[in-house]
Amino acid sequence: MEIRSLHIRGVRAHADSQFEFTPGVNLLHGPNGAGKTNVLEAVHYVCLAKSFLVSSDRYALRRGAEQMQIEAEFHTDRRGDEKVRFIYVPGNAKRVQVNGAPLDRLVDVVGRFPIVVLAPSDHKLTEEGPDERRKFLDTLLCQASPAYLSALVAYRRVLKQRNELLGRRAGMRREMLASYDDALTRHGSRLVVRRARFVEVFSRHLESAYALMAETTERPTIEYRTFANKEALADEETLKADYLERLARRFPDETQRGITLTGPHRDDLVFRLDSELVRRYASQGQHRTFVMGLKLAQYFYLHEQLGERPLLLLDDVFDTLDPGRMATISDLLAGDAVGQTLVTSARSDVFADVLPFDGNAASSIPVDTRSQNAPEPQT
Amino acid sequence: MQFTSESVEALVEQFAKLPTIGRKTARRLTAYILKMSREEVVGIAEALVAVKDNVTTCTVCYNVTDHVPCPICRAPRRDRSVLCVVEEPNDVLAIERTNEFDGLYHVLGGVISPLDGVGPEDLRVRELVQRVHDGHRDPLEEAEDAPAVAIREVILAMNPNVEGDTTSYYLGQLLEPFGVRVSRIARGLPIGGDLEFADEATLTRALEGRANL
Ligand SMILES: [Zn+2]
Repeated sequence: MEIRSLHIRGVRAHADSQFEFTPGVNLLHGPNGAGKTNVLEAVHYVCLAKSFLVSSDRYALRRGAEQMQIEAEFHTDRRGDEKVRFIYVPGNAKRVQVNGAPLDRLVDVVGRFPIVVLAPSDHKLTEEGPDERRKFLDTLLCQASPAYLSALVAYRRVLKQRNELLGRRAGMRREMLASYDDALTRHGSRLVVRRARFVEVFSRHLESAYALMAETTERPTIEYRTFANKEALADEETLKADYLERLARRFPDETQRGITLTGPHRDDLVFRLDSELVRRYASQGQHRTFVMGLKLAQYFYLHEQLGERPLLLLDDVFDTLDPGRMATISDLLAGDAVGQTLVTSARSDVFADVLPFDGNAASSIPVDTRSQNAPEPQT
Repeated sequence: MQFTSESVEALVEQFAKLPTIGRKTARRLTAYILKMSREEVVGIAEALVAVKDNVTTCTVCYNVTDHVPCPICRAPRRDRSVLCVVEEPNDVLAIERTNEFDGLYHVLGGVISPLDGVGPEDLRVRELVQRVHDGHRDPLEEAEDAPAVAIREVILAMNPNVEGDTTSYYLGQLLEPFGVRVSRIARGLPIGGDLEFADEATLTRALEGRANL
């Protein structure tokens, strides 16, 4: 897919900015604080209806702005030209319109315009706790499968309801819990079976990604860690039965602690290079390569599942890379493995030797919102 | 800023209290009212008051009605052995529009949702169990010992979302001991959709394809 233009109003540094993109590499460069990353943030909002930087939409809103409004023109192989508008007014629900018509559910936009983001905060994927890895898994699978997305939305809602019920010790009745157990295990099993299947396919893509980053001969592996035994993962029905049994066994613990203790909300992924755990034994450089490998594999996976090349967003990656890795990525972007890319950098010459900025292949886009942020002249 | 008419401002305030109506729409509605004839405006005002004064709840199905029992519960030709359980009165309207259902209704008054502090005791759940237990008695029949029609099927028509789903499961369990057929129509409706907004064709398909719980 391809993003052709972007009109940003009310996102951090941008009061009102307009951009046009080429189908190849788009280098967004400019001084720090000029709003380069906010451009990627805006793209993330129109594609996934949420931020990749901040936990609350309020933080992405420009200071003093009444609302955030982002419009983008996309072209996808699947549906041709589409205009998307994302609107957020604090205190109201976020809205997305496609070609002027509002979507029934906000999440229905997810997967229409697939994207892969590589940002400095991604080091958490291999270095920190399971939350980051589940987020990676979910963001990826939600874009690839509407069924997964529906199951995830439902699972999270059931989990909240069930925890609320568990937290109320006095009014909690076993017969009321049964309906939540049923829903939790039904949606939860769907997630777990799909995650297990995904990890098998994804491992292959991770190896291909590593092969592209020619510097290494180590073999990366990814293992899915969940509550159920391997045998129970065969199909949703088998897993649901196993899951229900486990819930019943933990019932005393759960009522005592007031939360749900078994389920895909506690899953994790284990990353290894050959037989060594990345989290424990990898060097800084190996961590970086692994994260880059995960993102590239995500790209290949989405491409394969959707029959559509995702849009690749690289936020500030070049400014922290050593020359070797930088050359690897530059070659990758210049080659056929990936399609359209939006890259931010403080420097305008990061691709100097690799990409000629002429016409379709690459475009150099200066970003500078300082005039939009100049203090109002006193009158 | 100065108002030239306090009456206009007061009406705008009142309109703006309604759901989905912002101040802009409230002003537009007020401007429209100003242009209407006095008779038309009195018509609206009387209809508003009548809704509060005349409308009450049917003591059989808990739908809104002007007369107790409501016309549906009184209709002689409807199948009194089938109950369709819905969340709100608007859902009755949606299903009636399909012309596919000729049983009686039971309006629950919402769904179970611990997060919103709504439990079975806040809904017409006990009343539903009672109805299924007792069977349907003609509400116009004076004789105490008139025979009741046994309920043989209960169709659960909650909205297809998590709360509708878990409420259905809960009701299914409660009704199990009575040996009635319990089915759900949520299948075929878009997930997360509202019954109220489903088109007739979709609802008809859902009614035909109802699945046993
Ligand atoms: Zn009635």
